[in-house]
Amino acid sequence: MIVKTLLAAICAGLIAGLFMTAAQELRVVPLILHAETYEGEPAPETPTAHEHSSRESRSLLQSLASALQPITPAYAHDGEAHEDGGIMFGLSRFSGTLMANLVTGAGFGLLLGGIGVLTGSPPTLRTGLTWGALGWLSVHMLPALGLPPELPGFPAADLGDRQTWWLITTALSALGLGLIALRPEIVAKGAGFVLLALPHIYGAPQPGDIASPVPAVLGAEFAVAALATTLAFWLVLGTVSGAINDRFLKTA
Amino acid sequence: MAVTNASGVSLSLNDRMIAGLLSLCIGAFLVFGAGLANSAVLHDTAHDVRHSFGFPCH
Repeated sequence: MIVKTLLAAICAGLIAGLFMTAAQELRVVPLILHAETYEGEPAPETPTAHEHSSRESRSLLQSLASALQPITPAYAHDGEAHEDGGIMFGLSRFSGTLMANLVTGAGFGLLLGGIGVLTGSPPTLRTGLTWGALGWLSVHMLPALGLPPELPGFPAADLGDRQTWWLITTALSALGLGLIALRPEIVAKGAGFVLLALPHIYGAPQPGDIASPVPAVLGAEFAVAALATTLAFWLVLGTVSGAINDRFLKTA
Repeated sequence: MAVTNASGVSLSLNDRMIAGLLSLCIGAFLVFGAGLANSAVLHDTAHDVRHSFGFPCH
C-alpha cells in the first residue's frame, strides 16, 4: 500500500515533468538562450575601470571553460569557477533538461502526494486542480513576490541567502495555505495569512547593484512565461495525481 | 464512479504516516537535488529547469 502510494505520486510527477519539458521548450528555454547572449557583457550603467578588469578575467575564464567543455559555452557563467561542470553523463542540453524535469516532477509529485496522505485528503480528480493551484502558489507565486524567476545574467544577492529565504518562504506558504484551505476555524485561517505574509515582511535578499546587461523586457517576458508554465505544470500534476489516485488508490 | 471515503478499507493511520513521511522525504530529496544542490554537474544539467522553475540559481 505504501509502495502504491509512492508509485502513484511518482507516475503523476513523471507525466507532469514530461509535459513541463514540452511547455518549457516553447517559450522559457528560448528566452533563457536569448538572455545568455547578453550574459557576460558589461552592465550599461557602470562601465568603471574595476568592472572592466573583472570583465577581462571573466572572458578569459569563459574561453577556458568553453575550450574544456564539449557541451555549450552558454553554461560557463561569468565569475563562477567551473572546475567540474558539464552535463551529467555527457548528455545534450535538452536531455539534461528533460531528465531534470522528470526528477523535479517526481519530487513535487511525491511532496504533493505525501502532504495529501498526511492531511488525510489526497488529491482526487475533483480536488486535483485545487491541490495543484495551492502547490503553485506556495512553491512559485508567493516566493516569486520576493524573488521573481531570474534570467541568467540578472543581478542577484548571495545564492545561499536566496536559497534559504526561498526554502523558508515555500515552507511557510505551504503551511499557511494548508491552514487556510483545510482548517475551518477562523483563528487558523488568520494564522495562515500571517504565515503567508511573514517572509515578505522580513523581506527577500536583494542585490546591492541592480544594473544588468540583460534587457529588462526579456526579464519581464521570462517572469511571466516561467510563472505560466509552472502553473500549467502544477495543474497537470494535481489533476494527474487525482486521476491516478481515483483509479488505483480508492482506499486512500 | 462516486469516490467514497471507505474508511473500512483505508490505510491504517500508521501506514498513512509512513507513506506520507516517506514520500515527503524522497520528494524533498529529489527537488533539492534538481533544484538547489550546490554541485556544478547538477547545476549544469538542471540549469534551464532551475531557471524556469524559479529556483534561486547562481
